[in-house]
Amino acid sequence: MNARVTMRTNINKTAAIKNQLKVCILSVKYNIMREMLNRVTFLTNIIFMMLNNAAFLIQWNILFHLKKNIGGYTIREVMLLWALSASSYGLAHLLFARVFSLHELIINGKLDSYLVQPKNVLLSIMTSATKTSSIGDLLYGLGIVCIFCFSFRNLLLFLLFTVTGATILTAYALLMGSLSFWFVRADMVGSHLVDSMVNFSTYPDGIFKGAVKFVLYLIIPTGMSIYLPVHIMVNFHMGRLLIVLGFMLLLLTAAVFTFYRGLRRYSSSNLTAARL
Amino acid sequence: MRKYAVIYRSILMENLQYAINTAMGFITYFMIIFIFMQLWNYMYSSPADLIAGYSRQQMIWYVMITEIIWFSARTATVTRQAATDIKDGNIAYLMNKPYHYTLYIMAKYTGEWSIRLPIYAAFSALAGVIMVGPLPDFHPITFLAAIPSILLGITINGVFKLCISLISFWIEDSNPFQWLYDKLILVIGTLFPVEIFPQALQPFLKLTPIYTVCYGPAKLLVDFQTDKLLEILPAQLLYLGLGIILMFFLYGKGVKKLYVNGG
Amino acid sequence: MNVIEAEHLYKTFRVRQKEKGMKGSLKAVFHPQTEEIHAVNNVSFSAQEGEMLAFIGPNGAGKSTTIKMLTGILYPDGGNVEVLGIDPTKKRKALSYQIGTVFGQKEQLWTHLTPYDNFRFFGAIYDIGTNEIEARIRMLSDTFDLGAFLNTPVRNLSLGQRIRCEIVASLIHRPKVLFLDEPTIGLDPVVKENIRSLIKQMNREMHTTIFLTSHDIGDIEKLCKRIIIVNSGRIVLDDSMEHLKYHYLNKKILEIKLREETALPQVKGITILKQKGSHIKLEVDTAVIEMKEALRNIDIEHVEDINISNVPLENIIMEIYRAENVTAGGNASK
Repeated sequence: MNARVTMRTNINKTAAIKNQLKVCILSVKYNIMREMLNRVTFLTNIIFMMLNNAAFLIQWNILFHLKKNIGGYTIREVMLLWALSASSYGLAHLLFARVFSLHELIINGKLDSYLVQPKNVLLSIMTSATKTSSIGDLLYGLGIVCIFCFSFRNLLLFLLFTVTGATILTAYALLMGSLSFWFVRADMVGSHLVDSMVNFSTYPDGIFKGAVKFVLYLIIPTGMSIYLPVHIMVNFHMGRLLIVLGFMLLLLTAAVFTFYRGLRRYSSSNLTAARL
Repeated sequence: MRKYAVIYRSILMENLQYAINTAMGFITYFMIIFIFMQLWNYMYSSPADLIAGYSRQQMIWYVMITEIIWFSARTATVTRQAATDIKDGNIAYLMNKPYHYTLYIMAKYTGEWSIRLPIYAAFSALAGVIMVGPLPDFHPITFLAAIPSILLGITINGVFKLCISLISFWIEDSNPFQWLYDKLILVIGTLFPVEIFPQALQPFLKLTPIYTVCYGPAKLLVDFQTDKLLEILPAQLLYLGLGIILMFFLYGKGVKKLYVNGG
Repeated sequence: MNVIEAEHLYKTFRVRQKEKGMKGSLKAVFHPQTEEIHAVNNVSFSAQEGEMLAFIGPNGAGKSTTIKMLTGILYPDGGNVEVLGIDPTKKRKALSYQIGTVFGQKEQLWTHLTPYDNFRFFGAIYDIGTNEIEARIRMLSDTFDLGAFLNTPVRNLSLGQRIRCEIVASLIHRPKVLFLDEPTIGLDPVVKENIRSLIKQMNREMHTTIFLTSHDIGDIEKLCKRIIIVNSGRIVLDDSMEHLKYHYLNKKILEIKLREETALPQVKGITILKQKGSHIKLEVDTAVIEMKEALRNIDIEHVEDINISNVPLENIIMEIYRAENVTAGGNASK
């Protein structure tokens, strides 16, 4: 009897997860459909973002003209680095763009409409917006990897690290954004740290030394989302791969936990006037 | 002209409210400068090296100064706000007010950067002196002589960015063009001085407005030469003039289109 | 059965202040001042199943804050809430399957999709099966007459059609209680009327309990049997519409047109509001003087036209607000 009851709740749970997933996929799909309404704008956004990223090829050409090896990277590794940065940034902003402006929603008290829905609040918020140009980033990354360092193994690893990189970036932004539940100014610090994570991700880690390296792996986790994966792609190492995956899960758990703690505060607090 | 001064003053007051936010913006600035410090420390094998005629200290100070300009001028007023005003038809209401819309936006822009510039300058002077050492051959006189060029550089940048936003009269989304402009400014003249580019390219680079936004002011501060000043200031005035003409032209055309098509 | 039960609700907000001028701006940088606002201050009421309840008050009276506490968006600082027997602060998700919310004109619809696609999306959110959702869309579209534009993208609909869809979308999961926060704000009279009849129909045919906040007296007069007036976070009146009118309508407006200009005798309980030549507008306080007594004072022989009317509800409510502000001000100065 008992077993049957558990089985049923299990089935209900699977159904609930399936429904939740269906809603998320629909949201993302509708977001992209909305962006595609104006085809010219949609395409210019994507193409110009690719050109925008390509502008940095000039920078690296000049730097490698001055020196053949920068922080242990040759032009090939820098390309790999750039590709992974662009594509993981692209994936994160394609699916979860709203996380990167979460602090605005919190400070302006705009979470209300998500709170009256019977679906997971966090997932509803995360998937409620997209950034068209991120498709350009994603394509740019994939393109660069295919042109400069193509092998089947590389592509598989690259796709895996695009997913882990996007997850780490999103989780980090979620964690930083959630701080706004407690501190009004936290949004400033938080979004600057997220920006810094992206800024660091396009320069070789070899130019940083000592304590900075530590910061880049733990406080601003560019090391885990980009540097370590690039090293693994150049020189495969199972243990390091597990470190990346483990770190990703840890950060994600911490971010989700913080968000929900903050959400409880959102409902009980009396901080913002905007919510009158 | 008085009304633009009043607009400027009220924006200044409004932005003082956010002075702390501006100060926090320094985090990102500092991170970027930090990356460049590490990068150039790495690129210069020995402290005595010269790259494109710049010493290591000069090179880092150069980037710091261009980034100050870049960060001070970074505001949504000339970009997103202007574009949205035009796209949403808000401009129809702003147009009928007794001021010129483009000058109103420029006054607002000036109000914004004139708070940020001193804050960033003070912060980075401090950070620079501590982390790279004082600027070599620094003279108060040449510093003062370079100031007009900084102010002009930021103003030229605003005028050109506003011109790009004015394209919104014709196209849906002018943002991608802003990115491209930003990246050109960034790659040519912000990340490193133009002398680093191949000799053959340099005359062409000097013809671009980019040359007058970041490179000019930073060059004068890092490595002051009187003939450079006499070359950069007229170039800036010329570009400012051209930019303003273009701005009025685009605005006039756009408004006319608005009248014909009714928004 | 009571579907809404609120007891001694409290909610306080802190608001940042800035003094005027440059000096104030500078001061605010270093010493941000905050002020406490009692948005909801000891509010208690209940509502029965199938009731249409109007919750009205001036701006900042605490209407939206109350709705947010009833739907679980905000937790009260003090007091108890129960909606459909569920505590929104504890089981927000469980409650959300059974209630619907429309916050003014904040769009919940995807504007680039058709109403049909939108309804399908909301069906997915509320875990409604494909066959079931099709049936419900058909039913709702028949009942509320959406057939003509069910397959037109929302952005191409007129404002009125869009709001209809907006409200109908919140009915897809058959909520037992519907919270409407300013549903007719900024609409033209025709659209307003349209939305009102939709709300009425909803209440009649689906027995949905309706909790409505509005600034628009018309909404309340035409829709609700019961009215709760809040001001400065407190309930100042909770009464049936009939009772309200009966109670506050002891004043009548009497308009007369005389054949020639005559002076009226001074009588207690009659005040002259306006006199322009032979047109006279009087207010008769029927608590002081009966209407027939009042009429006796008028020389019937000379009357060309006469019109007796009630004081408009709008004036009554304004008077209630004002009276409340006077007492509130008096308290503060103590």
